[in-house]
Amino acid sequence: MTTLLALWQLSLFLCSVALLALAAILLARVISEGRGSRRENERRRVSGLLLASELDSPRAPRGRIERDAAAKVALEMAELVRGPDREALLANAEALRVPHILLQKSVSRVPQERLLAAEALALFPSGRKRVGEMLRDRNPDVRLGAALALAQNQAAPPAAEIVRRLGLGTRERSLLVASLMRDLVDADPASVEELIFAPGLPDAARLAAADALAASGRIEHAPLVARMAEEAGQDEELLPRIYHALGRIGHPSGHSAILRGLSHPAWTVRAAAAQAAGTNGLVEAAAGLGLLLDDPQWWVRFRAGEALWRLGAAGRAVLTDLARDGSPSAREAAARTIEERATS
Amino acid sequence: MNFEPAAWAADWMLSAAQGIALVVIVTGLAQTAFYIVQLIYAAAALSSRPPVPRGATLWRRYSDQAPPIAVIAPAYNEELTVVESVRSLLALHYPAFEVLLVNDGSKDATLQRVIDEFGLKQVGRFVDDSVEHKPIRGFYANPALPRLLVIDKENGGKADALNAGINAARSSLFCAIDADSILEPDALLRVVRPFIDYPDRTIAVGGTIRIANGCTIDAGRVTTVRLPRNFLALVQIMEYLRAFLMARLALGRMQALTVISGAFGLFSRQRVVEVGGYSHATVGEDMELVVKLHRHMRDNRLPYRIDFIAEPVCWTECPEDVGVLGRQRARWQRGALECFAKHKDMCFNPRYGRIGFVGFGHILLVDVLGPVVEVLGYALVPLLYALKLLAVEWLLAFLAATFTFGIFISALTLILEEVQLRRFPRARELAILAVIAVVENLGYRQLSNVWRIKGWWQFLRREQGWGAMTRKGFGGTPA
Repeated sequence: MTTLLALWQLSLFLCSVALLALAAILLARVISEGRGSRRENERRRVSGLLLASELDSPRAPRGRIERDAAAKVALEMAELVRGPDREALLANAEALRVPHILLQKSVSRVPQERLLAAEALALFPSGRKRVGEMLRDRNPDVRLGAALALAQNQAAPPAAEIVRRLGLGTRERSLLVASLMRDLVDADPASVEELIFAPGLPDAARLAAADALAASGRIEHAPLVARMAEEAGQDEELLPRIYHALGRIGHPSGHSAILRGLSHPAWTVRAAAAQAAGTNGLVEAAAGLGLLLDDPQWWVRFRAGEALWRLGAAGRAVLTDLARDGSPSAREAAARTIEERATS
Repeated sequence: MNFEPAAWAADWMLSAAQGIALVVIVTGLAQTAFYIVQLIYAAAALSSRPPVPRGATLWRRYSDQAPPIAVIAPAYNEELTVVESVRSLLALHYPAFEVLLVNDGSKDATLQRVIDEFGLKQVGRFVDDSVEHKPIRGFYANPALPRLLVIDKENGGKADALNAGINAARSSLFCAIDADSILEPDALLRVVRPFIDYPDRTIAVGGTIRIANGCTIDAGRVTTVRLPRNFLALVQIMEYLRAFLMARLALGRMQALTVISGAFGLFSRQRVVEVGGYSHATVGEDMELVVKLHRHMRDNRLPYRIDFIAEPVCWTECPEDVGVLGRQRARWQRGALECFAKHKDMCFNPRYGRIGFVGFGHILLVDVLGPVVEVLGYALVPLLYALKLLAVEWLLAFLAATFTFGIFISALTLILEEVQLRRFPRARELAILAVIAVVENLGYRQLSNVWRIKGWWQFLRREQGWGAMTRKGFGGTPA
């Protein structure tokens, strides 16, 4: 075969593949549009059944299109309702064998399908065992989604087991871990409290646990968070998160750590400490915050100005003094802060 | 093959013709190989991405942890559309965001329209001065609309306006958009995902831009997706699909993305400040920012990710006029060349890893050499003919292979769109785009290369400026 012939054959091949592929997607689309009415009919039928007050041996969805439509509409409607309405809706979905459909989807080779199945299955008591198994899924998104779904439905295993299975704070660094911890606190605060004292736990996971406990209004762990601030040393990534947690907790045991943070070498830490001082109403920090108005980093100056304003009369006096007699940078920061707060 | 060259042809002419032919063929093969790799990566990226749930599910999943975002929208002489744009931005579905509209010294009533419509008053604002921009004349806000801040500044261009917005932003993330583009309501919730999944590493994320010509737009929302009737707009739809669903998605997957469109990108404010914000003396400031971020992170040996998400959609209006489109394409070409020239030391430099090899290799092949080589290829035809070295059967075979490969790539991109995203509601629209994928090779492709060569010429002459960009506006009123 000559090169010339090969070139023509390549062109013919590419052209054929392209045309066949285009024909295939067009055909698939036409068929799919034809199925649209079946899908819509099933959605209508299932919606009506899900909302019915009593179901008398309803026909479970049969074909693939019907099963897909039923699973989707059940999840969509379950997201819209709460309390007894949701329980009634889920009972009707059980009668329609929706969990059975979701169980089939939970072993799909497509991670997206498995994740959606996990989120929906966790709504059903009969599906939670399977969702628990999905904490060992090969895909990290599915594992985290399964844990979140279980926690939201107050059916999660103990927090320590979730940390281990998902590698929280090590392999899994998602911000959703904070949501997960908060849901775990709602269902089982004791298991999250145990986490805080668990040896060898990654700091990020421990902090997420402390943060979740703080957000739930439990202040008894504030001394531990303050100690974490001391032990974190120069960890510039962890310290700002610790200061944010201290700011949220607002407990006096964190005040000395916040005051120390104002002079930390890392600007991110100084800014977080300044913010925490403001949210804590830490009047003793007013002088330190005043010094930070001359910080080389704008974020630090901004947070310090904001905090001083939040401190009330003591902080505003510092701002007024510095706007008059401070260094050029501090004068600008103080004046702008006062101007902004006065006009907003 | 044996040829009898023209009697007048000197040896150097024959050598030169053969040399050029070799360069054309080798570059073409390299481009082909690169496109095939991109398609494979794009398919892998689409098939492994997390699900695309409904807005309610997204909200339930991400709203608790979604970091605040400052949406920065530079506006210059947009009095006809600015109010609608701001309304659309304020209606975005995201838990914590602030819209920073930057009036870049408009000569029309852009600022006054916004002030009147939203009842704004001049306010004070303590802003950063980390990145350079022209002086700010004032800030305007309304306590009843805490999510809106208007920044009025002296004219300095888009990059300058974005820098002013960055300095005024108080969120760890900012989203740079064009004021005349339309974001889908849940676009921010979708594009923020990498910042939630990899909070320690993600520094920038790009989203898909789609063409709104032909679509029905109501109250700043795209309500019905339809194809335009204008041929140039149709061709651009195919081009955008290839650019976003194939090239950027693949390069994102390879962690070698070198451009995030200026119409829609989400960035870590701190990292952008560290690289000095947007550069002023270039028309490719969006590409240059991403390259600067890569350089900064690599130079400092910091782990990072720059991602591309296919689902978040920003709708934009594309030119339907040959002159305007030609100017736009020449400008894009110039921007890419300016960026390549400024950072040429990164190209194939092992210090920059896959950015140096894959990212800059892509710019070199597609943006720097691509148009030159293709036009050289066309120019070679009469030259070889005159030298009596033209084998017509070979020419036809190469042309056939080149065009069918173009169609092949377009067809596979359409399949990716249909299987994974399915934004076109009717089969008829897919059929029209399939025809466009064939027809664009005959005439438009060559014209596009002429525009890009014009961009090359402007780059060599160091021309500056954006050129006039006429828009009809989404309301259909000439703007």
